[in-house]
Amino acid sequence: MKFTLVIYGAPHASEGAATALRFARALLEAGHTLYRVFFYADGIHNGSALAAPPQDEQDLLGQWQQLQQAHQLDLVVCIAAAQRRGLLSESEATRLEKPAANLAEGFELAGLGQLAEATAASDRIVTFGG
Amino acid sequence: MTLHIVSKSPYSSSALTDCASSCAEGDAIVLIEDAVYGAVETYPEITERAPVYCLQSDAEARGIVIGKNVEGIDETRWVTLCTEHNPIVSWFK
Repeated sequence: MKFTLVIYGAPHASEGAATALRFARALLEAGHTLYRVFFYADGIHNGSALAAPPQDEQDLLGQWQQLQQAHQLDLVVCIAAAQRRGLLSESEATRLEKPAANLAEGFELAGLGQLAEATAASDRIVTFGG
Repeated sequence: MTLHIVSKSPYSSSALTDCASSCAEGDAIVLIEDAVYGAVETYPEITERAPVYCLQSDAEARGIVIGKNVEGIDETRWVTLCTEHNPIVSWFK
């Protein structure tokens, strides 16, 4: 079965993103397909390359990136939510004349159309709140 | 048949009672994160409406003893419940 996960929770502010990661691992282990993970609202902070949590705490970014590499996941960050909160790719930073880019490797910026398309293409949508 | 996923504590949010009042026949409820505080026997009005499941790992992390009318599940079983129900509604306000 094809799943798409929608994540509203910022790392460390709510459990949503950590729960979603556990759910994603479980569904992949069960042989299902993870069609897309869509990071929305404060959930976009999961895609920041600059997060540097203490060593004895969970490294959510690294775990998402590992899972992305292992399963070629489509990790999509809402571009409008990201711009408002200061999460930019190299091309967006250049276009908006900002001093730096901080979108982590393995993530991409895209519009809500990607969520609409995933909703149509997936069997199940599971939302993880903030 | 909807699967309701509740993630907020019944002591800080009306998510669980709101969810229970919208439950139709064939629906099921999964308690995750702080909503596992609702997985005790003091909520018969909810367990009478729909089968209630509770994420065991989240309950253990909080020292919650799951009530008799609630079934403790792992992430794999949660995924299976998602395949058995549609749509899946998350209650997190």
